[in-house]
Amino acid sequence: MVKHRIGLYLLSFLAMLYLVTPFLWVVLVSFMEEREANQHHWIPRQPTFDNYWPYLAKGSVTDEDKTAGDAVGGFTARQFPRAIINSLINASLVMVMNLFFGSLAAYALARVDFSGKFVLLLFYLGTRSVPGVAIMVPMYLLIRGYGLLDTHLAIILAHTTFTLPFTIWILKGYFQTIPIDLERSARIDGCTRLGALFRVFMPVATPGMIAVGIFAFISSWGEFFFALLLTSSIGSKPVTVLISDFAQELQVDFTLIAAGGVLVVLIPIVLAFIFQRFIIHGIGGAVTG
Amino acid sequence: MAKITIQNMSKHFGDVIAVDKLNLEIDEQEFLTLLGPSGCGKTTTLNIIAGLEEPTEGQVFFDDQDVTHIPPEQRNIAMVFQTYALYPHMRVFDNIAFGLRMRKVAGDQIKTRVIEAAQAMEIENLMDRKPRQLSGGQRQRVALARAIVRDPRLFLLDEPLSNLDAKLRITMRTELKRLHAELEKTFVYVTHDQAESMIMSDRIAILNEGKLQQLDNPEKIYNYPTNMFIAGFVGSPPMNFFEAEIRHENEKWQIRGDGFACSLDAETDRRLVHNPPTIVKLGIRPEDIGVVTQSDTDPTDVSAQTLALADEYVPGWDTSAEQCFAKAKVIVREPLGSDLFLALELNGATFKVRTRPNIDFGRGDIVSIALNPAKFHLFDPVTGSTLLQPTK
Repeated sequence: MVKHRIGLYLLSFLAMLYLVTPFLWVVLVSFMEEREANQHHWIPRQPTFDNYWPYLAKGSVTDEDKTAGDAVGGFTARQFPRAIINSLINASLVMVMNLFFGSLAAYALARVDFSGKFVLLLFYLGTRSVPGVAIMVPMYLLIRGYGLLDTHLAIILAHTTFTLPFTIWILKGYFQTIPIDLERSARIDGCTRLGALFRVFMPVATPGMIAVGIFAFISSWGEFFFALLLTSSIGSKPVTVLISDFAQELQVDFTLIAAGGVLVVLIPIVLAFIFQRFIIHGIGGAVTG
Repeated sequence: MAKITIQNMSKHFGDVIAVDKLNLEIDEQEFLTLLGPSGCGKTTTLNIIAGLEEPTEGQVFFDDQDVTHIPPEQRNIAMVFQTYALYPHMRVFDNIAFGLRMRKVAGDQIKTRVIEAAQAMEIENLMDRKPRQLSGGQRQRVALARAIVRDPRLFLLDEPLSNLDAKLRITMRTELKRLHAELEKTFVYVTHDQAESMIMSDRIAILNEGKLQQLDNPEKIYNYPTNMFIAGFVGSPPMNFFEAEIRHENEKWQIRGDGFACSLDAETDRRLVHNPPTIVKLGIRPEDIGVVTQSDTDPTDVSAQTLALADEYVPGWDTSAEQCFAKAKVIVREPLGSDLFLALELNGATFKVRTRPNIDFGRGDIVSIALNPAKFHLFDPVTGSTLLQPTK
């Protein structure tokens, strides 16, 4: 029995190590000096906050104002707050789109019987199995055709198409764990169908909604590929794309990238911590009773 | 205030016919139970009365009003669900008050009425709890309080006691019956538990495969089942069935099974349909078979002495009828304290007998049994329908 436990702990520790090590390295490098980052060691000899200061620097952020006088990576770092705002706008709206359309679709799939339901579900799942590269060109042409290149809307639409199928599947499963008798009881108690939906069903479904909302947010927040494809200026460029700007033709500024990475990850981590209770509940199913 | 009439009502789910041309009248202030095995259409019928589902065809009337297409929120009914369906995000108080709020009752009045309902169900000390902090029995009481608080014209109860443990179920049966008497409202109750339906109902409507089998008071259902399904469904342990042959001889109907033979009693004889089939199913309830304890008496000797013995040893035995004796082997002994059930075997047919607890026969013993012809039920072996006409 005890032996069993030790093995279990060992395994989960290894799994954690596997997941955390790359991130730990990023955190450690962000406190190193530039030349130290290439030396493949772990603990910064002289921990420094120098890599974080450029992100707080003030100044113009438009691409035209890039001056020769800026330190290497300094200009990109200066654009950081603006990119964070771009990412926040994108991710929040992707979340809203997911919650709105996802909950409506999932409710119908969970509660209403209609023909073609199963095919529709498979179709949603199928769209997930198409690799992003495969639809890169058509997506680009489509977005360009609508004149949406380099806008927030382009990214929001693109990210919603990737996240929505997942949202619908998870929410459908979650909604099905909510006893239908609750809505029926609400009807008997005097609610209309919509009243029952908003007064009883939605409050009970909140943990699941929060969970998928955060997943959608984080997916959009961390997405790089389509963001790179569809944006070019700081007016719409999200933070993931901005960080890639540090890798220039002549040199890669590892410590600045690391510091940027730490800052970028902070927001989803904070979100996950605040809502972890809901995320766990949301994946586990509604609390009945 | 509410008499319910269901007219020619059917409900189809795709190819499945859940309810098939049901006609049913539920009287004002009646406690009517829809009884049947799972999938018989009883819950669907209840949902249609509630308005939660629309019938495929037919109509539902409350008094003279056609409510078939009226949504549940406008029907002024209350429903208690098997899962209780308490709103998990609301406190007990808000759960009970919800229906009143939806109907825009004034705030101070809500409070008075909620407290009243809670007191009636003895849960006034639980008002601030969330449903998940309550035991099954407490949840049940909250669900009932939520139902009575609105003063609805009709109560619908969908297996409300099924999730309770056996002891609590018995308490709540009494509670529900008391509630029905006090509220003087129409109750429609769905259950698959035949004992529950017998105890609680004014009348029972037995459904099977979407069809109404019999609608009668509990005694009639028990004593005069109209077909084999009902006979086998109501009563615990269920009625025993034997293959038998009937013949009209010497002005009397004689019945002969494998290991027993006798003539029908006068009443059964009178009720028997014209031209019955020769081969029939004979149904006898476990309490209508007696164990004759003096095993040295020849059980096939239908003498005055044996009759006297039967009278003495078999409780409540009707000695006016002709007796039907046989010998059977004990297979299983099931003592229940107040009663003793014996599973017996007679020429390959096994059946159950309910007898007094102090009979000390055990497995393997041969016992003499007496069948009570006055309590014989005869069924058509093909259709399962009764071969006895209803009593007046």
